[in-house]
Amino acid sequence: MSVKKILVTGIGGYWGNRVAEKLAENPEYQVLGMDTIAPKQPVPGMDFIQADIRNPLLVKLLKSEKIDTVYHLAFKESARPNEAAFDYNVMGTMKVFGACAEAGVKSIIFKSSTAVYGAAPQNSAFLTENHALNGSRSYGSIRYLIEIEAFCNGFRRQSPNVNLTILRFANIVGPTVDSPLMRYLKQSVSPVLMGFNPMMQVIHEDDAVAALAHASSGHYPGIFNVAAEDTLPLGKLLGLAEQRRIPLFHPFAYMGYGLFGSQGIRILQHLPIELDYIRYRWVGDLKKMRDILQFTPTYTADETLRQFAEQRRSKSPAPETETRAAYDTDHLRETIERRHMNENQADDETDRRVPTNE
Amino acid sequence: MSNTSRPLCAALTKSGASCRNYALKGEIYCHVHLPKAKAKAEETQEPLSEDESRRLRAELANELNELVERLRRLQPEYEPPDFPSLGIGGALKRRLPGLPSGVKNTLVELFGENYKEEIFNIETWKGLWYMINYSAQYQADFFKRRLTGEYETDEWGLDWEFVEVILPFFEFLYSKYFRVTATGLENVPEMGRALLVSNHSGQLPWDGAMIATAIYTEHPSQRLLRSLYATWFPTLPFFSTILERGGQVMATVDNGTRLLEQDELVAVFPEGYKGVGKLFKDRYKLARFGRGGFVRMALKTQSPIIPISVVGAEETYIAIRKSQTLARLTGFPYFPISLRFPWFGLLGFIPLPTKWYIDFGAPIPTDTYAPDASKNLVLVSQLSDQVRNVVQEMIYQRLAQRQSVFRG
Repeated sequence: MSVKKILVTGIGGYWGNRVAEKLAENPEYQVLGMDTIAPKQPVPGMDFIQADIRNPLLVKLLKSEKIDTVYHLAFKESARPNEAAFDYNVMGTMKVFGACAEAGVKSIIFKSSTAVYGAAPQNSAFLTENHALNGSRSYGSIRYLIEIEAFCNGFRRQSPNVNLTILRFANIVGPTVDSPLMRYLKQSVSPVLMGFNPMMQVIHEDDAVAALAHASSGHYPGIFNVAAEDTLPLGKLLGLAEQRRIPLFHPFAYMGYGLFGSQGIRILQHLPIELDYIRYRWVGDLKKMRDILQFTPTYTADETLRQFAEQRRSKSPAPETETRAAYDTDHLRETIERRHMNENQADDETDRRVPTNE
Repeated sequence: MSNTSRPLCAALTKSGASCRNYALKGEIYCHVHLPKAKAKAEETQEPLSEDESRRLRAELANELNELVERLRRLQPEYEPPDFPSLGIGGALKRRLPGLPSGVKNTLVELFGENYKEEIFNIETWKGLWYMINYSAQYQADFFKRRLTGEYETDEWGLDWEFVEVILPFFEFLYSKYFRVTATGLENVPEMGRALLVSNHSGQLPWDGAMIATAIYTEHPSQRLLRSLYATWFPTLPFFSTILERGGQVMATVDNGTRLLEQDELVAVFPEGYKGVGKLFKDRYKLARFGRGGFVRMALKTQSPIIPISVVGAEETYIAIRKSQTLARLTGFPYFPISLRFPWFGLLGFIPLPTKWYIDFGAPIPTDTYAPDASKNLVLVSQLSDQVRNVVQEMIYQRLAQRQSVFRG
């Protein structure tokens, strides 16, 4: 019997938490979570290690735990580029990947976005995975994703033994997720550019989690666009989400954006990424997802948005997420006991663990 | 008008709509469907086996049921409003003697000899009332569905409802304004992929719209042509949306190849801006045919190339000069100075009502080449030149026959 050991970074964030939950359901996996803060919702059967991803002891941890797969989901969203986010996102990723290569981790799974292709008039209708990454340089998150992906290209050459899987997700929509498109849809009124109605791609949050979990079930090195099969115009997207819209004349919108930046004008504050992304088409080609990754999303874009509208109409507050208090003593004790049963860890590692410290 | 008495073809096209061609004399099918019907009749000489016919009938019943379901979903039961019994009918009855004779004549034309009986019949007015109400409600419903997102588009952005809305405008341009004569439509396949290659002219891309209208209205299969348009259009408000909803696609090799692989009918204008922005003195002289991207598309997908010549479009605007400075200032790819533009502002956009000829040439097959022939640069440039020569030849032939720019 072989148990696959998986380390999930960024467990305190939404994606780490959801993916770890999904992975822990599989009895063949043994899941370790790592972050500086505890997951908001406790994950049964997962061990939590409180540490920063940039910690130099990561190599030692990976080696001693014989980690097989690393889900690198630690990523700080930021609208404006700033030094702290750069250090955490880009430098942090480089350190994690470097540690993985040194510790002999077999595969790394990384979550990216189709926004890295950029929205431009000369884009083909369906962008394949080898399209140049011309995404916005002024929006923090996208800028960092592009830098990380550029690093990944080099990493793939330098460490051919590590299977690097990158999933580029389209706009993620769902009841609990916080994505740029969700912020755009959750305002009282969404700005659109008059006369522009580009085709958009969305994916349900559950499908995004399922795709990430699916990536570790086989051998899928490479980059994959992941989205629901159907595309839909922005106008239809807003209509289905029952969202009011305000059309802006695009030269004025760009002028305002340029003069004041995204923080200056209230109405432009929560655009999904940048004006170009609601002006031009940036739809990913899903052939590789179908044929090689062999993943099929369960929700269509239509269903995803109708579900979103229904939840908003019923005005039910989002399920209250439990805070770190949920990490109660019972759970800690259970963790300690389980870890002591297969006891053969070095001492300097055990002091990095929350349970033994307290 | 005399045409209206001629019976239309009785066949159904591939898309399921009734054929719009006129039937041949003494036959019930048009020139396209007659040979097919004959061939089919010969084919189906031997009677079907019992099982086969039962299966076919069951299939037909299934399809009909599905169709009914779809119709129901599209059009939930319509409840006509109550008719005010003494409303319009009563009012008109009292006014009829005082009506001007012109209106009376129109009414006679509308209702025939016994118009008095018809016009006083409450059922006539009820019917009219329902019709008006229905169409008003349909329109309101249409806009409401647009806003709430209850419409369908394909992956490229094509919206059939939108096509139906804009079609009358292009049909007017096609039959009344440019009085287009289209020949050789039988060269366009009824199904399966094909790459249509045309000359480009006339400052504004009316020629693309007219080729698409020709195929949509006159070709028996009523296929929607997917023209590949220039990179400039996605940057324009409204135009970008109209083109995309109308099923047109931005010109990249990836897009064209994907469309052809989906067995679509694709049109390209390899001359690009150089062709459409031609000066009047250079009319009907083909510009360079791009970089041969269209040939690579055709070779990769083994689609036949159908050359098209459009004659008449060159004279719609008479461009004398091109202004680089104004082009740079406005962001246009080229800025023509014509007799009416920019002096008369928006009036300069109205094309002159020239008489147009659109000729569809014999297909040039590409399936004789190996599938990887698209990498053979020599072959690509050879084929590109060949197609260019064919189109140029077709243009010269048509020009030789043409007597007048406006009357043909």
